[in-house]
Amino acid sequence: MKKAMTLALGILTSVGGFFDVGNIATTAQAGASFRFQLIWSLLLATLLVIFLVEMSGRFAAVSGKALPDAIREHFGFTFWLVPFAVLTLIHLLTLGAEIGGMCFALHLVTGIPVWVWAPVVAILTWLFLWRSTFSTIENSTSLLGLLTLAFVVAALLHHPPTGEVVAGMLPSLPHHDPEKYWFIAVSILGAVIAPYLFYFYSSGAVEDDWDPSYIAVNRGVALIGMGFGSVISLGAIVVAAMVLAPRGIEVSDYHQAALMLTDAFPFWGFALFAAAMGIACLGAALEVALSMAYTTAQTFGWNWGEDLNPREDARFCLVYTGAILLSALLIMFGVDPLKLTLLTMAINAAALPFVVIPFLLLMNDGKLLREHKNGWLSNAVILFIVILSFVLAVVSIPLAIRGGS
Amino acid sequence: MELVRDVLDKQLIDREGTKMGRADGVVLEIRPDGPPRVDSLTLGFTVLASRLHPRFGDWFARVRARWSVRKSGRYRVPWSVVEEVRQHDIQLAVRALDTPAFDWERWLRRHVIEHLPGASK
Repeated sequence: MKKAMTLALGILTSVGGFFDVGNIATTAQAGASFRFQLIWSLLLATLLVIFLVEMSGRFAAVSGKALPDAIREHFGFTFWLVPFAVLTLIHLLTLGAEIGGMCFALHLVTGIPVWVWAPVVAILTWLFLWRSTFSTIENSTSLLGLLTLAFVVAALLHHPPTGEVVAGMLPSLPHHDPEKYWFIAVSILGAVIAPYLFYFYSSGAVEDDWDPSYIAVNRGVALIGMGFGSVISLGAIVVAAMVLAPRGIEVSDYHQAALMLTDAFPFWGFALFAAAMGIACLGAALEVALSMAYTTAQTFGWNWGEDLNPREDARFCLVYTGAILLSALLIMFGVDPLKLTLLTMAINAAALPFVVIPFLLLMNDGKLLREHKNGWLSNAVILFIVILSFVLAVVSIPLAIRGGS
Repeated sequence: MELVRDVLDKQLIDREGTKMGRADGVVLEIRPDGPPRVDSLTLGFTVLASRLHPRFGDWFARVRARWSVRKSGRYRVPWSVVEEVRQHDIQLAVRALDTPAFDWERWLRRHVIEHLPGASK
């Protein structure tokens, strides 16, 4: 009974927590500029993220260890230093993008400039972490995040052409702007397969005291939660394709993305978009900041845990405090939230080999995981998508920067 | 027991179950009349820095000496207080708060955390 509850709650929180600033930005751009043509990259990314989240939960359930902790223990500090540095960079950039998303949502409702909101949003995010426990954060913001299902409802209300949607599920070459096409494809991969996500997931499983009896629950949460979560992103691509593309609106600013829900919900489309974006970004910001603190504390062996009082793990709290401060500064000094988001998502994709390969090595350690170690199929799928994402990212990032997008 | 596989980089746990750092370094004692013996574990950023490169370690130690709240860059845990080496951690017979391993933690608690509202959940 308790397991059934855990499963249901896990699925709901994964669906609610799936959609964040990276997904908003990349799906809006994909639909607006290439209609349904980039759906394949979302499917590919979803497949990989299901595998990675399942592995991460299985690892924590069997070994009782979170990833950063286990990688340093197993491969040593010198080996872990590069993935750790890459993760730190990604955490800070992603946190900046999520804070920017919240600031934009508030700007949309109030008209007050984005950068002015940065300190307010930073303090709000920090207060949540300072005062809450892990399960409060996990359950409250993720459940509220179900509001992002509005994109699925809107997509259905628009009656999209089924044939074209299905055709988009297979990769095809672009008819125009190839640099932009590949850059968005890479950004979608990086937004869905955000490295913080599966690193965070393993620490969360340790916080929730998972043991090997959670392996089945974990598989269900990963498959159903992530699977349905990506339906929201699919909905957003469809909405952008139906609303923005016919009007020739290309998303070069979040204001244009904010038009997405106004056709389906004429009166409150704007407010709904702002609320969905604000909540999705708050939930993600809390997870990213926590993930950064988990990773750092485990790397150096400090006491860690969101359920402890701040005076029991002062250094853990210092890390998330510092991370929020630094990331909010990016937005306060006027970095464009959309550009920051797209660049961060592309960097996510380029970073995948650095953060996935150590993890994959651990998953194949029979001494540690016994009969629960990876099979050849998971290994093959993961290696294939990781290498593909990396190659696409390394080729498309310089092209996109040169093309000025 | 293999030192690099079973001891180095492992999580250290104190008497009260608190995570008190990792085995950043292992110090061996070379004895003229017998095989080398484990003398102690060492902890600290300086130890980690010198694992990357000895020169980097020296540089880090100099910077640290100017700014750190900790008196010494390397905290030595004598092997005699090691109670048990388990699969995923090492049990020590000391209290983390009484050791230099928690210099920063103590400093932060006293000078920052205690001054902020709502520090207990």
